[in-house]
Amino acid sequence: MSSPRTSRALFLTILLAPFVLIFSVFMLYPLAQSAVLAAHQTYGPGTREYVGAHNLSLLINDPLFWKALKNTLVYTLGSLLIQLPIAFALALALNSPKLRGRSIYRLVFFSPQLMGLVFVSILGVLAFEKRMGLVNRSLAWVTGNSELLELDWLQEHVMATLVLLSLWLYAGFNMIYFLAALQNVDRSLIEASEIDGAGPIARLRHVILPSIKPVATFVVLLSMIGSLQLFELPYILLDSSGGPSNSGLTVVMYLYQNGFELGDLGYASAIGWALAIMLIVLALIQMNMIRRQERLG
Amino acid sequence: MTPPRIERVTLLVLAIRHLSVGVWVILALLILSAAALVLTDRSDSRDDRALSMWVFSPEHKLMYDPIAARTSDTDAPLDISIMSIAAIQSRMMSGFFGGLPTADLIEVERATIGQVFMGPTEAIGFTDLTPLLESEGLLDQINPPSLSPWSTDGRVFGLPHDVHPVMLAYRADITESAGIDLTQAQTWDEYFAMLRPLMRDNDNDGRIDHYPLAAWYTQPDTVELLMLQGDGALFDEHGVPAIDSDRNAQLLARIVSWCLPDGRVAVDIEEFSAAGHQARVDGVSIGNLCPDWMCSIWRMHVPGLDGKLKLMPLPAFEPGGRRTSVRGGTMLGIPTTTEHPDEAWTYAKTLYTSPDVARELYTLVDIITPVRSLWDDPVYDQPDPYFMGQPKGRMFIELAPMIPIRTSSPYNRAAVLEVRDAAIALVDWAQSRGYGFNDVESIEPRAKQLLERAQTNVVRMMSRNAFAALPEQEDREQ
Repeated sequence: MSSPRTSRALFLTILLAPFVLIFSVFMLYPLAQSAVLAAHQTYGPGTREYVGAHNLSLLINDPLFWKALKNTLVYTLGSLLIQLPIAFALALALNSPKLRGRSIYRLVFFSPQLMGLVFVSILGVLAFEKRMGLVNRSLAWVTGNSELLELDWLQEHVMATLVLLSLWLYAGFNMIYFLAALQNVDRSLIEASEIDGAGPIARLRHVILPSIKPVATFVVLLSMIGSLQLFELPYILLDSSGGPSNSGLTVVMYLYQNGFELGDLGYASAIGWALAIMLIVLALIQMNMIRRQERLG
Repeated sequence: MTPPRIERVTLLVLAIRHLSVGVWVILALLILSAAALVLTDRSDSRDDRALSMWVFSPEHKLMYDPIAARTSDTDAPLDISIMSIAAIQSRMMSGFFGGLPTADLIEVERATIGQVFMGPTEAIGFTDLTPLLESEGLLDQINPPSLSPWSTDGRVFGLPHDVHPVMLAYRADITESAGIDLTQAQTWDEYFAMLRPLMRDNDNDGRIDHYPLAAWYTQPDTVELLMLQGDGALFDEHGVPAIDSDRNAQLLARIVSWCLPDGRVAVDIEEFSAAGHQARVDGVSIGNLCPDWMCSIWRMHVPGLDGKLKLMPLPAFEPGGRRTSVRGGTMLGIPTTTEHPDEAWTYAKTLYTSPDVARELYTLVDIITPVRSLWDDPVYDQPDPYFMGQPKGRMFIELAPMIPIRTSSPYNRAAVLEVRDAAIALVDWAQSRGYGFNDVESIEPRAKQLLERAQTNVVRMMSRNAFAALPEQEDREQ
């Protein structure tokens, strides 16, 4: 008869086995395979040629990769610097006790998320069309300048279009996080600051922002990782290409083009590893900064 | 401490009894969907002899179904499935990459075929049809330029479905009421000169009402079409990039000059959107580049143009130059993994070379067959009311032998996009220097520089392909 210790170990092993199995098959094995693939050139999984570190040197000297990286970073900055402040401002507005119909506004701002990225992208193509698109029509109507009808967003202002569309899509999503954090700010702290004579700006700076810092950090990290993985939006908006002069090509799009359109899973793996390393480094930097701030009080 | 066995069982029962409603709903859905799958599974009832075919056009299925049903040469039924071009592309390539079965017959659009030819020759997923075409005399029957996109290293991997010559569809209602006979225009310069008087803002909305041509430097397909018309070639006959040739630079400078603000004669009109269709109805463009397949799209989606358009051969770049071009295309291929190669070939021949299908192809979607022996069919002489009673089919057929030869290089799409990017850079450069319609010669040297850059980019892409380099290396060793 087995001892209680053995029985407990068996019980835990059985409980853990499904996760370990699934994690190994779908995460660890592909991860190891992609590292092996990164040293090959392939034409699909069936045909491969060992190229050693050639993919890495190609990547370093590949202007398209750098272009894709630059585009992705510009988009990420655009997202962080425009989208998050707007999301926070919306959350502040919705958190106001004087506001009526808060749940309706919340639904309105959050609703693009319910539609999904693909649908938003398709709507984006229509909205940003020349001449008949909603955006140009509105601009021309507001300014009275018919030349604005000819504004070619999807050819000449690709990055601006991407940032605007992602703003529509994600501002409401991030707003929900900020709103939840704001609603959890200790009321007594706010009241104490009011009694001490702090104005709205001082309250925001010294009471509200420090209180929501953990959530804000999480939102920043989430937005940054999401932005660096941008794919569907430009893929649909630009009809599966990188757009004029590859102005809308992102790192993940470039990975997809190489791996699944050209069949070079090796080079795609190399791109994937480059992106993964970048994400890990960024996450580590951010975590370090948070720890340092926490130590400084 | 580990609870005794009896206690563990009791805990389990209690846990199950206290599962939430949501969990029970999920479990119920799981059982119901599994049962539905088992009950509706028809895999056993499928005919093992049946051949499968993937097509991307509902009209094609409509044409093929009755023909396939009465094909007596083979007793294997043909099961035709419609899916999008992207779906066919991803399924087909997944099958080819993994050496897995796909369909027995696949229709492939031209933009997709490059991917098939990207790897080593032995990994091409389609059967080499050259011996079959030669032995059955089909190679001589098919319009020769129509074979080029589907051939590599002198081997043909697909039966061409079409020719797709291009004509100019112009707003005859506008030109004729203005007393302009556009058929007299032999060259693009003559054409633009004849239409300049119509470039006015009659309704005072701050915009010109009519432009001579719908064509724009940011549209890669349009740029490729026009360059092909002018004998510009992005690759030579061996698949070596020739993007930076003098001829290509001349042509790019010409095309870009049409779009420059100073003396602009071209207009950017989207091809497949409601906005674009409305602009055409409004007469924003007088002339539109029109491959044969475009006729049915306009007929279906732009009824407002009915009886207002006429067709004419494209004006040439120089006197005596080519009066047509080519755009798009489809082939039918037989994957090497098919278990029914003979039956698949029988069906391929029937569907692509039968007079009935050729007639249907023209009647339904205005596409002319590449089989030259079928061009005598009177159906092509019928007047088309949409095009003011012109015998449209005959007009396209007269141009069919003159369509330019196209490359099958897997890097063609990349090259076309590079040329488009060069055009964008050229427009920026020319605009910043105030160049316009009449400054082609001043623009040309810069066009050449930009095309050299495009060529470098494409060569860099090609040099990355270890498989393409392998045969040369082997040849050298031998």
